[in-house]
Amino acid sequence: MPNPRKPDGSVVTTCAYCGVGCGFKAETIRGEIVRMIPWKEGKANHGHACVKGRFAFDYWRHADRVKKPLIRASIAEPWREVTWDHAITHAAAELKRIQAKHGRGSAGAVSSSRCTNEEIYLMQKFARVALRNNNIDNCSRICHSPTQFGLSATLGAGAACQHFDSILQADVILVVGANPTEGHPVFGSLLKRRVRQGASLLVIDPRRTETAESAHCRADVHLALRPGTNVAVLDSLAHVIVTENLHAAKFIAERCHPAEFEQWRALVGDPRYAPEVVGPEAGVDPAEIRRAARIYANGPNSTIYYGLGVTEHSQGSTGVMCLGNLALSCGMLGREGVGVNPLRGQGNVQGGSCLGSWPHMFTGYRFVTDAAVRATFEQDWKLELDPEPGLRLPNMFDAAVAGTFKAIYIQGEDPVQSDPNQNHIVAAMKAMECVIVQDLFLNETAKYAHVFLPGSSSLEKNGTFTNAERRVSMVRKVVPPLAGLEDWEITVRLTNAMGYPLHYDHPAQILDEIARLSPAYQGMSFALIERCGSVQWPCNPQAPEGTEVLHTKTFPRGKANFMLTGYVPTSERTDERFPLLLTTGRILSQYNVGTQTRRTGNVAWYGEDVLDVHRTDADARGIQDGDFVTVTSRYGETRLRARISDKVNPGVVYTTFHFAQSNANAVTSDLNDWATNCPEYKVTAVELVKVPTGKPASSRTPASVRA
Amino acid sequence: MSGRAAKSGDAVIHLDVLITMANQIGDFFTPYPPGQREEGVRNHLRHYWDPRMRDALLAHVDATGGTGLHAHVLAAAKLLREPGAAKTGYPGPPKA
Repeated sequence: MPNPRKPDGSVVTTCAYCGVGCGFKAETIRGEIVRMIPWKEGKANHGHACVKGRFAFDYWRHADRVKKPLIRASIAEPWREVTWDHAITHAAAELKRIQAKHGRGSAGAVSSSRCTNEEIYLMQKFARVALRNNNIDNCSRICHSPTQFGLSATLGAGAACQHFDSILQADVILVVGANPTEGHPVFGSLLKRRVRQGASLLVIDPRRTETAESAHCRADVHLALRPGTNVAVLDSLAHVIVTENLHAAKFIAERCHPAEFEQWRALVGDPRYAPEVVGPEAGVDPAEIRRAARIYANGPNSTIYYGLGVTEHSQGSTGVMCLGNLALSCGMLGREGVGVNPLRGQGNVQGGSCLGSWPHMFTGYRFVTDAAVRATFEQDWKLELDPEPGLRLPNMFDAAVAGTFKAIYIQGEDPVQSDPNQNHIVAAMKAMECVIVQDLFLNETAKYAHVFLPGSSSLEKNGTFTNAERRVSMVRKVVPPLAGLEDWEITVRLTNAMGYPLHYDHPAQILDEIARLSPAYQGMSFALIERCGSVQWPCNPQAPEGTEVLHTKTFPRGKANFMLTGYVPTSERTDERFPLLLTTGRILSQYNVGTQTRRTGNVAWYGEDVLDVHRTDADARGIQDGDFVTVTSRYGETRLRARISDKVNPGVVYTTFHFAQSNANAVTSDLNDWATNCPEYKVTAVELVKVPTGKPASSRTPASVRA
Repeated sequence: MSGRAAKSGDAVIHLDVLITMANQIGDFFTPYPPGQREEGVRNHLRHYWDPRMRDALLAHVDATGGTGLHAHVLAAAKLLREPGAAKTGYPGPPKA
């Protein structure tokens, strides 16, 4: 029988969900997307896919999509539909009014890793040439900013060392604070394949994740550490390496600064980092720490993959440095099957990091305070630029609460749902005079917005994404933007309305500008990516078709650096009032705060966030499987359905954060990483109370909560 | 050229937040030898902090002598006013 729904169109594009960046053929019938077929030639996925990329695409035409720009004078008023010209003129006038009244530094912008490289680049250009400040940040601030900081400090490049396929040459795979089976499923399958072939698997994670233990994959060592003790445990692994002389002396002598190694060896070799000291505090068996260290050091090829379980801590950047130190100490860099590799959460987090959407850095991780670097941009953009760093995203919210930050342009982000200590974020939003949200849907943040600019999904635009292995791939328009404009076109219009003339006919011209101003992207162009299928940076005259493995002969600064990574316990502590530690994560079928996947059939697999509780803790509180419980922290409270689970240890509870109604970030703290202000989502002290049957849901803020 | 606080005397962010942030940075650099640890904090404050945040911290130092700040963080804050404090920013270990 002939297929009654045979597609009449097909476009190869890149998935916008996790950082794997799978290639897909988006197939259409009469202009409607009907299915996503994994692209066999995709170098990141080789024809594989997960249930998000494969099935969760219908959000693009969901009834909730906003198709007309909206404005209102105050958040108490209803929205009013206006034309694009009206909305852009109004937004620009408001930004100019506020800057005239409150100072140039009173406005800022945030870009999104759901948008393309070209759109992210334009957002930072908007801040620098239109707002005339460096108040620009990107959403990796709240996920992988410690990666950029920690890997830059140790290895000289804030990005993955390897390409994904390199794992097939690894003998030992160390996974820290990540669950690729659910968070990065296509890569997770590759990892499992290598484990089935015989590679050793070491997992450091508070939970017994699918990666640590499943039907076809079991970790040789699983250190189910207490949340918040990453740095102690990683330093303890290093302690074993240096005190048992397992380090790679020749590699260290040739590729590192020996004096820095000695300084580091003295620190981690101190008895306070012995497994027998750290183990009891971290809740893990000291013998298992020793065993893991020996397996990693012996390789011969040992590789590290990590996720937000490392970065989202008050010592997130320190934790990343620990991983860099470990790899350096054992010479596990610069060839296939080794390296340190962040697993990026969103499709274009790496692009968000590369393209200058930072308050302190231009593209290519170069300081705005560096006059020579600044001069190259000033020459190209024909404008004097602010020589000082701007505010980071959490700083912007802090400044709004303090009354000194009054306007924000948010592209494709939902801080009210996704950022920590929701009460604080809401207070910041309410304190601003103009909040401009550019998104597909009226998200939680839009409740506090004055201008709503309807954006376009990745299926409705042209551009590029950079995945977690530094691979730049094409994003191609499958259907026209529902609201008429691609996101980059909206930013161009707003920049023009602010008085700085911008003109691009196509995103290819924006990538050309990026290449002109960014050493790692020097050779990139749409033509090259079309010809090669995808290209990994650095791409330059020495590597005209890109680079699969970093640090093969030298590091970006010549030699690599050992950083001193002392353990500083988080100030978020359990006590009699809040005796349990809440940690958070994701599930396979849903994506981040669920803006897209909640609006697809994937809700059939996972329709609500639940709270995993160990039976010991449940019994002590009279909680049965399926009961609703009130989760209270020092910052707020929410209500979740409990699930009795042996995936968490006693004393630890876990939830996902995909659904707005579960309000997980009503309870998370606003403690954050010392270097980057990345929030400490992974450690919040809480208490649970069973909700009596029949009592309505509630979510409120304790009187003691700081706004 | 950079924007300054809206009104003279306003801290761009509440002072307690800034002191906490500065001390956290100080905690990281504590294992470094004297000299390096202050330089590490200085480099970070100079090249990662909005100048209004630095100004507010220094105003606090001037007004109180640095109440609430770790000793080496206070020393680092004072280095921001020393000749050469504007040298190019860098990642990696403190260069002192």
